[in-house]
Amino acid sequence: MPEFLETTVDKFIFRVATDRYYHSEGVWAQAEGNRVRIGLSDFLQQRSGDVAFAEVQPEGTVLAFDDEVAVIETIKADVSLASPVTGRVVEVNPAMEIAPEVINQHPYGEGWLAVIEASDWESDRARLLDSQAYFVEMKREAEEEAKRL
Amino acid sequence: MSEGRRKVVIVPCSGIGKTYGTVSREAAYEVVEDMRPAETQLVALSLLVLGDEDARAAVAGSPAVTIDGCKLACAAKMVEESGGTVAQDFAVLDVYRRHRQLKPKGIAELNEAGHELARVLAEEIAAVVDSLSRDDGGENA
Repeated sequence: MPEFLETTVDKFIFRVATDRYYHSEGVWAQAEGNRVRIGLSDFLQQRSGDVAFAEVQPEGTVLAFDDEVAVIETIKADVSLASPVTGRVVEVNPAMEIAPEVINQHPYGEGWLAVIEASDWESDRARLLDSQAYFVEMKREAEEEAKRL
Repeated sequence: MSEGRRKVVIVPCSGIGKTYGTVSREAAYEVVEDMRPAETQLVALSLLVLGDEDARAAVAGSPAVTIDGCKLACAAKMVEESGGTVAQDFAVLDVYRRHRQLKPKGIAELNEAGHELARVLAEEIAAVVDSLSRDDGGENA
């Protein structure tokens, strides 16, 4: 079980798992050797809303950093997700096909999107935020959104 | 429907300004006003939230079908908090997942797919109402 940084903004509680890196747009990346598992941060899934459908690029797709790795359709909008990794998709979470709501239920666990075989993880990692940096950025965004409500 | 038989209470989401909330209310109106007017009664979620006595009495004395627009499930929760029994809870999102071609859009006015999704949902609710009414008739026979 990962540890979390946690903040409350308005009536919402947001958690950031400390055992992974984050794209500034909210997709997390967790390396297991040169295979990198990716998914949505708690903040991104809450801001996006209940997921109706998730379409992840199929296995074998080659992606550059920032390429669209998935699109989730939620009750609010269609959200394009940028890849935090350069490499090839080697596994797609089968739950995305049958129960994409798992993204909302377990964003840091069973709700992962895909595993990407990284071609240069060290370079990608240097472009990502560590959990503390993402926590600060996420909190700032959440507070700005709360002011607009 | 015989005199004195309990009407099924329909409680839709109150998410004003939300597409899925609008679908839930449109489906509720379709059931209560057009499909099963003799067997159903609409109760506004806002009245339950405010603690309106008539609304609370209605849900406490009859089976309720709730229609929720999001995972917060306010309709189902408020019925239970008001002393009622949720016979069936519908989530608009679940119905949409089964009918992806019916993507609802719009808020004050739904698009055609949204209207159709509401019709599909209303038919499912009507079937549950029929089942509950049969059960109720059996118990009262």
